[in-house]
Amino acid sequence: MAGVLFEDIFNVKDIDPEGKKFDRVIRLHCESESFKMDLILDINSWLYPLELGDKFRLVLATTLREDGYPDGGDWNAAEMEGGSRANSFEYVMSGKVYRIEGDEANNEPSSRLSAYVSFGGLLMRLQGDANNLHGFEIDQHMYLLMKKLAF
Amino acid sequence: MVKEQYRETDVARKISHVSFGVDSRHNMKQQAHLHVVAKNLYSQDNGHIPLSYGLLDKKMGTCSNINNCGTCEKSLNECIGHFGYVDLELPVFHVGYFRSIIGILQTICKKCSCVMLNSKDKKLFLDRVLNSNLNYLTRKALRKQILEKAKKCNTCPYCGELNGTVKKAGLLKIVHEKYKTKKATDPVIQLKLTEYHKVLEDNKELENILQGGLITILNPLEVLGILERIPEKDIPLLMMNPECSVPKDLILTRIPVPPISIRPSIVSDLKAGTNEDNLTMKLTEILFINDAIQRHRQCGMKVQMYNEDWEFLQLHCALYINSEMSGIPLNMQPKKSGRGLVQRLKGKQGRFRGNLSGKRVDFSSRTVISPDPNLRIDQVGVPIHVAKILTYPERVNKCNIELMRRLVQNGPDIHPGANFVVQGKTQFRKFLRYGNRQKIAQDLQYGDKVERHLCDDDVVLFNRQPSLHKLSIMAHKAKVLENRTFRFNECVCTPYNADFDGDEMNLHLPQTEEARAEALVLMGNKSNLVTPRNGELLIAATQDFITGAYLLTQKDTFLNKSQVSQLISCLLAGLDTTMSINLPEPAIFKPAIMWTGKQIFSLILKPNDECCVKANLKTKGRAYTSNEELCINDSYVIIRNSELIAGSMDKSTLGSGSKQNIFYILLRDWGEDIAAIVMWRLARLSSFFLMNRGFSIGIGDVTPGHSLLKAKQELVNNGYGKCTEYIKKMENGQLSCQPGCTEEESLEAMILKELSVIRDHAGKVCLKELHPSNSPLVMALSGSKGSFINISQMIACVGQQAISGHRVPNGFEDRALPHFEKYSKTPAAKGFVENSFYSGLTPTEFFFHTMGGREGLVDTAVKTAETGYMQRRLVKSLEDLCLHYDMTVRNSVGDIVQVLYGGDAMDPTYMEGKDCPVDYKRLLDDIKSRSFYSNEDPLDGPSIIKATSELLMSEEYSCLSEEFKQELGQFLKSIAIKIARVRQHIKTNATVNKYIERLTVSQLVEFIHTCKEKYMKAKIEPGTAVGALAAQSIGEPGTQMTLKTFHFAGVASMNITQGVPRIKEIINANPRISTPIITAALEVDTDPEFARRVKSRIEKTTLGEITEYIEEIYLPDDCFLLLKIDIDRIKLLKLEVDVNSIRYSLCTSKLKLHPKTVVIQGDSIITIYPNKQKHNLSHILTQLKDSIPNVIVKGIASVSRAVIHNDDSSGKTRYKLFVEGDNMRDVMATIGIKGLKTTSNNTIEVFRTLGIEAARATIMTEIKLVMENHGMSIDRRHPMLVADLMTSRGEVLGITRQGLAKMKESVLNLASFEKTADHLFDAAYYGQKDAISGVSESIIMGIPVPVGTGIFKLLHKADKDALKPRTLLFDSFSQNSKVNV
Repeated sequence: MAGVLFEDIFNVKDIDPEGKKFDRVIRLHCESESFKMDLILDINSWLYPLELGDKFRLVLATTLREDGYPDGGDWNAAEMEGGSRANSFEYVMSGKVYRIEGDEANNEPSSRLSAYVSFGGLLMRLQGDANNLHGFEIDQHMYLLMKKLAF
Repeated sequence: MVKEQYRETDVARKISHVSFGVDSRHNMKQQAHLHVVAKNLYSQDNGHIPLSYGLLDKKMGTCSNINNCGTCEKSLNECIGHFGYVDLELPVFHVGYFRSIIGILQTICKKCSCVMLNSKDKKLFLDRVLNSNLNYLTRKALRKQILEKAKKCNTCPYCGELNGTVKKAGLLKIVHEKYKTKKATDPVIQLKLTEYHKVLEDNKELENILQGGLITILNPLEVLGILERIPEKDIPLLMMNPECSVPKDLILTRIPVPPISIRPSIVSDLKAGTNEDNLTMKLTEILFINDAIQRHRQCGMKVQMYNEDWEFLQLHCALYINSEMSGIPLNMQPKKSGRGLVQRLKGKQGRFRGNLSGKRVDFSSRTVISPDPNLRIDQVGVPIHVAKILTYPERVNKCNIELMRRLVQNGPDIHPGANFVVQGKTQFRKFLRYGNRQKIAQDLQYGDKVERHLCDDDVVLFNRQPSLHKLSIMAHKAKVLENRTFRFNECVCTPYNADFDGDEMNLHLPQTEEARAEALVLMGNKSNLVTPRNGELLIAATQDFITGAYLLTQKDTFLNKSQVSQLISCLLAGLDTTMSINLPEPAIFKPAIMWTGKQIFSLILKPNDECCVKANLKTKGRAYTSNEELCINDSYVIIRNSELIAGSMDKSTLGSGSKQNIFYILLRDWGEDIAAIVMWRLARLSSFFLMNRGFSIGIGDVTPGHSLLKAKQELVNNGYGKCTEYIKKMENGQLSCQPGCTEEESLEAMILKELSVIRDHAGKVCLKELHPSNSPLVMALSGSKGSFINISQMIACVGQQAISGHRVPNGFEDRALPHFEKYSKTPAAKGFVENSFYSGLTPTEFFFHTMGGREGLVDTAVKTAETGYMQRRLVKSLEDLCLHYDMTVRNSVGDIVQVLYGGDAMDPTYMEGKDCPVDYKRLLDDIKSRSFYSNEDPLDGPSIIKATSELLMSEEYSCLSEEFKQELGQFLKSIAIKIARVRQHIKTNATVNKYIERLTVSQLVEFIHTCKEKYMKAKIEPGTAVGALAAQSIGEPGTQMTLKTFHFAGVASMNITQGVPRIKEIINANPRISTPIITAALEVDTDPEFARRVKSRIEKTTLGEITEYIEEIYLPDDCFLLLKIDIDRIKLLKLEVDVNSIRYSLCTSKLKLHPKTVVIQGDSIITIYPNKQKHNLSHILTQLKDSIPNVIVKGIASVSRAVIHNDDSSGKTRYKLFVEGDNMRDVMATIGIKGLKTTSNNTIEVFRTLGIEAARATIMTEIKLVMENHGMSIDRRHPMLVADLMTSRGEVLGITRQGLAKMKESVLNLASFEKTADHLFDAAYYGQKDAISGVSESIIMGIPVPVGTGIFKLLHKADKDALKPRTLLFDSFSQNSKVNV
C-alpha cells in the first residue's frame, strides 16, 4: 500500500497511568504485536472509547487516498468524498511529526528511536527500532487510522 | 495660537546662564518706575481709585480689564507690570541673608572690617579663591574653611582689636560677645568695666547687670557700617562675587515693590471694596511702620519707642519675605499669616514645582476609562465630544486641500471638521462657527493652517497618574468613538497600572509633525511593549484573555465545523476584514470531523499561508510536572513554526512578566507589528470564545464537597494537635529553643509556621478535589486572577491572621480578646480563622480578620507616600545622567559616572537571555525549525566547532565584543559535543537518523548571523536617559512591594528589614541601618565545632554569664569582692577565656579598676579590692558588684549576637556565621574568619572598612537582594548606575537633600527639589552663575533638554576669517622703544 509508513496491531496496556486529568481525552499506553513498538497515544474517548485490553489495528499514512498520491495540502470538505482510505477505519486523525529523537536515557548504542506526532494537540509517541520508523520525516503530514479488532 | 515647531537656529538669543545676586539699593531704584510713599491704598474721598504713589498705583501695572497700565498704556494681557520701591527709614536685616551676615561678621574684624586671616593665610586663600574655574561646590567648601579659620582668631591681625564670638541671639538679633575669650579678671575687661563706674556710683542696683555690658548687640545700622567698610580686596575671601553682590547689600534699606500683576487685588461682587493680596497687605504694614518711625523721629520720641518701631519694621520686612518664621515673640505674632515671597516659591504648589517645572497645557483632555477588546493594542478610543475640541493645525497643501475644504465646511460641530482657519500670510485666525464656511473653504490656500478636529489615526499621548515610569505615558493612535469614555485594549492596562473602577486618564494631542513623529517612534506603545526595567513584556494578555486562551487550548477542547467557523470569523475585523484564513485539516476525521482548540489557537499566529510568521517556543507552563510534552497536565508548551503542538497556554506563556512568552518571541523575532496584531487577535478570539462558552462563578463553585470538608477538618485537627503538643512541651520546659530565641519566641515561630501551612495545604486539597471546570480553579490554574490561597479561603479555610508577621497580639490583659482565657496560646485565641468565607466566620474570627485587613490598608496608605517621595528623590538625582556618544554615562556638567554603561554598553530592554542579548538555546531551536534547508545534510560535532571559529574570525563579526564571541563559541561547542555524543550511539543507517539533532551549515551560518544582528540591536543608543530609566526601574517596583519584613533564608528569627524601608536605607546611605548583619565565612567551613568556637570569639560574653557567684567579703581589716569563675561553663561554651584574660578585661573596662586591686587567687577566683577613698566602702563595693557582671570578657561589644548558618544546598553542609551588628573590621580580624569573604549589608560600614569600591558593590547586591526577595527582577545595570552615582564623589552620598546638594551644581535644580529658599539665598550670596545644562533647569527655562534626541547637535564649521596673530606685549614695547630711540 502506497503512502503507508507504519502498520501494526496494538494492545492497550494501560489507560491514563498517572491519573485522569481530562474529561474527553484519555492517554493509551500500548505495545505492538509484531514490531514490539511502544506507543503512547491521546485519543478522544467520547468519540472513540477504548478500554484496557482492547486490540486495535493502527496505520500511519501520509495520505488518505487509496492510490497513494499525496493529498492536496489544504483541507477541503469536498475532497473527502470518494475513495478514501478512511472508509475502512473507525477513528482517523491528522497531524504532524514534530520531533524524532534517539533514546537519550541509556548511554549504550541502541537503534531505538522515538517519533513524536501531534494531532492538533493530541500527542503520539511511537518508540521502537529505527528500521520500523523508516520514512518518518520532521514536519511531515501524517494520518492516523485506527480500527478495533474483535476477539 | 499655534506653537510653531521648535527650531533652535531660529532663536535670536539663547540663554547661556542664569546669575544670582543681591540687588543693590541703587539697582532697585533703577529698575523701579516709582517711589511708593503713600501708606493708604485708595484715596479716601472718591471711591475706589488707587492713590498715586500708593501700593496700587496704576504705574505699576494693572489687574483689571477696565484700566490700562499707567506706564506702558498696555492692557491686562500685554502689560508685564513694573516695579516700584519703598525706602525704609532704618536698615533691617534680610531674613534670607541673616545667616550669611552672621557668617561674614564671624570672619571679619568688627572694627576695621578686614578678614581676620594673617597675611600668609590670606594670600594662600586668595590664590585659590581667585581661580575663576572654581565650581559651586568647592566655593562653598572654601567659604567654610575660611570661616572656620577666621573664627578661631581672637585679635584682628591688622588693627589688633579684640574680637569675640558673634552669634544669633533671639529673633533677627546679632550679639557680639567681644570679651568672651578673656577671663573676668583680665585687665581688658576690668578696663571696660571701669567705664561703668560712674554709672554705678549713681545707681547701685545696676551692679547685677554689669556683666551684660560686656555683650554688645549689633543692630542693622552698625552692621551696615561694618559691611560697608570691608576692603574691596577682602570681598573675594567672603566668596562673594563683587559683580553680582557686595556685602553691604545684604542689609535691606530699600524694598522693591512687585508689579500689580503678581499681587492682584480681587474685586468681589458681593460686598463693596476689594480683597488685597498678602504681599500688598504686608507692604502696607511696612509703609505704615515706616511712617510711624518718621513721625516719631520728627517729634523726638523716646529711644525705647524708637527701638520698638525698629524691631517691628524688622519683623515685618522679614515676614514679607518669609511668613513662616519660627520664634516670633507672642506679642508680636501677626494675627494671620499670609504667604510671603518664600512661600510663593517653595513647596509642591509653589512657583518652582507648580509653575516652572510643571505647567498647565492646552490640547489635553481627561475622562473616565473603560475597556474595549475590539480596539487594537495601539489604539485609544476617543469620545467624539473630545475629538471636536482637541485640534491639530494642519497646513494646507496640494494633497490635502480637498480634504481640508471638506473639514472646513463641516465646521466645529460636525465631527470630522475644523474649528479655526489661520491664514498663512496674515496669521489671521478665523473661527468657523460663525461666518460663511463655504466661502472660507473656497478661499483656502496652500500654506494656510486648518485647525482640524482630532481624527482617526492621529497620534495622541495617553497618560495615567501616578506617572512612575516612562511607560505611564505612551503614544496611541486615536480612534474616534461614540460615548464619553476613553477606551483601550485591556492588554495595555499593566503599564498604566489602570483598572476600570472609575480611573481617569489624560490625553494630549501633539501639535507639530516633529512631535508626532517622535511620539510615534519613541513613545508609541507598540515600541514599548517591553519594560526597560528587565526587558520583560509589560503589554501582554491579561485576565480574561488568559482564561479564554487557557480554556481554548485545553487538550479536551474540540470544536465542530460550525463552531470553528463561527469562532474564527471573529478575527475578520478591523484591518483584517478581508483576510483569508486557511483552516487546517481537522485533527479528527472520523467518527466525526473535529478541530482541537490548539489548532484554532495556531490560527491567530498564522491565519493563512501568505503569513510568513514562524514562531517557535518551547517552555514549561505553570502546572508542569515532568516528561516534557507528555506532562500529564499538558503544561509543556511547544509552538513549532506558529503551530501549537502541545501544551495549554497560560499566564507564563501569554501574560506579562516573562520572557518565555509567545508575544515576546513574536516581538523579538518578527517585530512589534506582528506581536501587537497577534495580541489583538488573541484579545478578540478569547473574549469571543469565552462569551460563547460562558464563564461565570456561582455559589456552587465555592461549595465544598464532603471529601474536601473531611480533608480540611483533618488538616486543621492535625495542625491544632501539633500546636497543643508544642504548648505542652513548653509548659514542661522541653521545647528546644531555636538559635538566638527565647522559648516563647521559638514556640510562636513554630506555631505560626504550623498554622500558616494549613491554608496552603487546604489550597492543594482544593486543587485535587475540585472539578477542572470549576471557575475559580480555572482562573487560578491559568494564572489569570487569584491564587490557590484565595480559593482555599473561599472554600476551605481562611487561615491565620498575621499582624506584622506575628500572630494577633494581646489587645486585652494577657489575651487577644476577652472571649478567651488569659495566656491562652491556642490557635483560635490568637487569630486562626478555621472557617471559610463560604461557611462564615464566627464573631471572634471576624474581628481577627478585620485586624489583618486594617494592617493591609494602613500599610498601603503609608507605602504610597513613602515610595512616591523615594521615587522623586531618585529621579531628581539621576535625571541628568545620559549616555554620550563615547558610551560614557555623564551628568549634565560632563562628569563621568560610568565609563562604559553597565560594563558592556547593552540596553537592558533588549536582553533576551539572562544579562545577555541572545538566548542561544532558544534561538538555535528557532532557526532549526524555521529554516529547515531540507536538502542539506547535518553537520557532525567537530565540523561545527571548526565552522564556528572560522565564521567568528571573519570581518563581518569584528563588531562583536570579545566576551560575546567567547560566549557564543562556548555555546556552540557544547552543542557540538552533544551532537557528537548522540551520533556515537546511532548504529543503523536508516534515513530517519539524519533528523536526530540535525544542524546544517546554512542553519549554523544563519544562527551566528542572527546572534550578531541581535547583539548589534541590543547596543545601547547614545542619548538614552539611562539615569531616568534606572531611577524609574528602582522606584516603580517599590510601589508594588508589600509586607515590610521577610525572614532571613534558613535562619530562624534573624529578620532583616526588607521592602521599601530597606531600599530607603540603602538609597539614603543611612549609617545606622535597622538590621546590620555581617556575613562571615569561616576558614574551616565544614566543622560545626570550629564554627561554634569562632562564634564564641565574636559574640559578646559578659562576666556575669560565666561567674558562679560574686560575693562581698567583709573581713575585720579588709573588704573585697570575690568572683568565682564557672570553669565548666567556659568549657561548655568553648570560650577562650581564663582568669588572666578576665583580669585584663576587668582592668581595661570602663570601671577604672587599678591593676593592683584586681588579684588572681587560683585558676577560678578573682578578688577585687575597692579603691580606698573617703567614700563609704560598702557603697563602692555594692556598686562594683552591680556593674561587674556587665563587663565584657570576650567578643565584640557592638555585636548583639551571632548565629551559625548551615547551608546544605551543595550536598555537603557548609557553615558560616551571621553576625548581628556593626564593626566589620573587628569581625574580619577575628581568628578563624575568612576576612576576604566577609561582607556586611551596611554600605557605610563597608565603605569605612573596605573602601568605596566595596561600598559600591554592596549597594548593588543589596538592592538586587531586596528586589529578588519580593519576586521582582531588575536588570543589574540599574542598581549599578545608582551605586555608581552614589559613590562617584569618593564617598557614599545618599540620595537625599544633603547628598543631592553635594552632587549637583545647579541652583535651579536644587531649588526645584527641596529647601527652595535656602538654595536661592545661598546662590545670591555666592553670586552663582548657573549654566542651563541639566534637565530641571532646561524645563524651567523652556529649552529642549540635552538628553535623548536633544543631545544631538549638528556641528557646523563656519567660514570665519583666519585668526590674526596677536601682537605680543613685549613686541609692542620693543616697537615703542624703537620709536623712542
